[in-house]
Amino acid sequence: MRLNKRFGFMATLVLCAVMMAGSAAVAAEKVIKIGVLFPLTGTAAVAGQNCVNAVLAAADVINKKNPDIKAPLAAQEGILGGYKIVIVKADHQGKPDVAKSEAERLYNQEKVFAIIGCYNSSATKPASAVAERAKKIFMCGCSSSAALTERGYKYFFRHAPTDAIESEEFVQYIQYLNKEKKAGIKTLGVIYENTEFGKHAAEEAHKAASKAGLKIVADVPFNNGATNLNSEVQTLKAANPDAVFGAALGGDYSLWVRTMKQVGWLPKISLNYCTGYQNPAVQKELGRDGDYFMGGMGYSPALAKQFMPEAIKIEKKYYTPRSNQPFDSDSIQEGVMLFVLAQAIEKAGSLDTEKIVKILQTEEFPSAMSLSGNVKFNPGGQNAKALSVITQIKNQSYGTVFPLKYKAVEPVFPMTPWAKR
Amino acid sequence: MSNFLQVLIDGILSGLLYALVAAGLSLMWGVMNVINFAHGEFLMVAMYICYWIGAILGIDPLFSWVAAGIFLFILGCLTYKVIIKNSLGKAAMAPLLATFGLSMLLKNFCMNRFTPNFRLLSGTIMEGKTFTVGGAVISLPQLVTAIFALIVLLALVWLVSRTRLGWAIQATAMDKEAAELMGIDTENIYLLVFGLSGACVGVAGGLMTTYLAVHPEVGSLFSLIAFVIVALGGFGSIKGALLAAILIGLVESFAGFYIAAVVKYVAVFAIYLIVILVRPKGLFGW
Repeated sequence: MRLNKRFGFMATLVLCAVMMAGSAAVAAEKVIKIGVLFPLTGTAAVAGQNCVNAVLAAADVINKKNPDIKAPLAAQEGILGGYKIVIVKADHQGKPDVAKSEAERLYNQEKVFAIIGCYNSSATKPASAVAERAKKIFMCGCSSSAALTERGYKYFFRHAPTDAIESEEFVQYIQYLNKEKKAGIKTLGVIYENTEFGKHAAEEAHKAASKAGLKIVADVPFNNGATNLNSEVQTLKAANPDAVFGAALGGDYSLWVRTMKQVGWLPKISLNYCTGYQNPAVQKELGRDGDYFMGGMGYSPALAKQFMPEAIKIEKKYYTPRSNQPFDSDSIQEGVMLFVLAQAIEKAGSLDTEKIVKILQTEEFPSAMSLSGNVKFNPGGQNAKALSVITQIKNQSYGTVFPLKYKAVEPVFPMTPWAKR
Repeated sequence: MSNFLQVLIDGILSGLLYALVAAGLSLMWGVMNVINFAHGEFLMVAMYICYWIGAILGIDPLFSWVAAGIFLFILGCLTYKVIIKNSLGKAAMAPLLATFGLSMLLKNFCMNRFTPNFRLLSGTIMEGKTFTVGGAVISLPQLVTAIFALIVLLALVWLVSRTRLGWAIQATAMDKEAAELMGIDTENIYLLVFGLSGACVGVAGGLMTTYLAVHPEVGSLFSLIAFVIVALGGFGSIKGALLAAILIGLVESFAGFYIAAVVKYVAVFAIYLIVILVRPKGLFGW
């Protein structure tokens, strides 16, 4: 009798252990780990944290049932019949070598299925090279260096328009102003951070300007994180270009604007690449000093109201509680990439990387958080549906000025001089 | 001509600010042979103090720099008491590594509490005010910061060279044991030196809030330039730090404008290497 009781007790224990191990194994298998690799420290940390929050917001939409949101995968819970997306964060500090080693760590040790990253083009380049060698998927939201999709990579996919596309758009806008408003813009200055992103943006600016007959009178690279930008702004002021194209991230952007105010100089028009211009946190600190600058954007609250209402719902429900601000043009694109990847996985019906890559390369994906409404990748990974508009900021509100189809406000041209503000 | 004058003035104003940041480091390095790797983070902390005093209490950095100076004096003393004192005389790299750890702690603490957001005070008394001299535009916040820096530096020079306390500091720097035999409390001297070093960088950081955005990485390049200035000017020499800093400010400004903006730091470090090769103890070292 005692032996039977003891045997029964032991058998029950073993059965419970097996069931727990089994359910743990089942639970472990029901997650898809996605790495997010962004600058969480360093000069671009504000933007990096926003990018992570955007991906987390997208993960919440995918993982939970959201009947109120009309976006792909929002109405169901998880993908592949209940798999949840688990985000694994990593910080590349804005350094290419750290990006490379963190990508290796994410793929090899954390065993992530794919990586979304890296904001800085200089970090995206080596990290995506790691992915390509490992035959793993790399999704890039907002890194804008055109060179990234000119490498012929199979596993790399990028959402944002390139600096080449934006440069063409900036020049088209200048030509429009010259023709319709008799703007008389003939000379151009370019100021840019001395990194992969900045140098490439400057090269594209040069190409686009020379095609349009604009003369480049100042080419001013600077070291990001500089203690001052006095020499740089003095060089611009001495050359006095009609227009300035800027590629300065975060704090450097605010330092540049404040230094121009200090020396009392402004060009007639300033157009900015994917930079501090697009960051609401930077514009909040600049206040009215930031007014009348322009830049390329794939998102603004005003655009979203008109063209992307579901993005506003996602923003209010999952993004703003984390970031204390609306989406910005950069971070939202990182969120888009998780949606696109999740849709591709769902269509593949499995976690077969090659199958998913084939789907990413050939299919078109609806995207509630993309201005064009869809995402489709060319060979090389560039989003053929990438769209950005030119906005002008006034009182921390971005108003769309070009293309004319999206125009919502009349631009202030030329920029109001400092003394008259 | 106005370009030349502008570049000259920019260089001098930057140099004076660099001098104040570097002066405390020079004193500490000269007296105790200790490199404070957290010096840039002390600057960052001072800027945050004045930013938050301005943002929450509405007190302009023109006045709140005093609070930053006092806070950083206390932080400097605490750093000595808690970290440096326990690592001096142990392994050669112990104080260096300890201050490196402190720098990581301060930076990550501020990153965690205040986020990496760039924070810029607006509506300050001197905001955006400039005046013109001979065609050169002078920013009032930068000018006032430079003047304050010069006053503090001159006060420090007077303290070190003309007071009994200053002679005690110099004696401790020259020979600690001999100074103790002369009845100098070297323990208190070390404590004071760390405190003064903190106060100098606290004043600098506090005033910089009038025109520079504060974020957790703001101190990094200032710290590096401070090391260059200390090595160039000579360890322990405040006068050397002042002259070296102005030289660095001018080299940065002239190279940045007349050669190319992107080479300004190349020129700074090149000058440093040349001087060190010719005179390893720096221009005025003890």
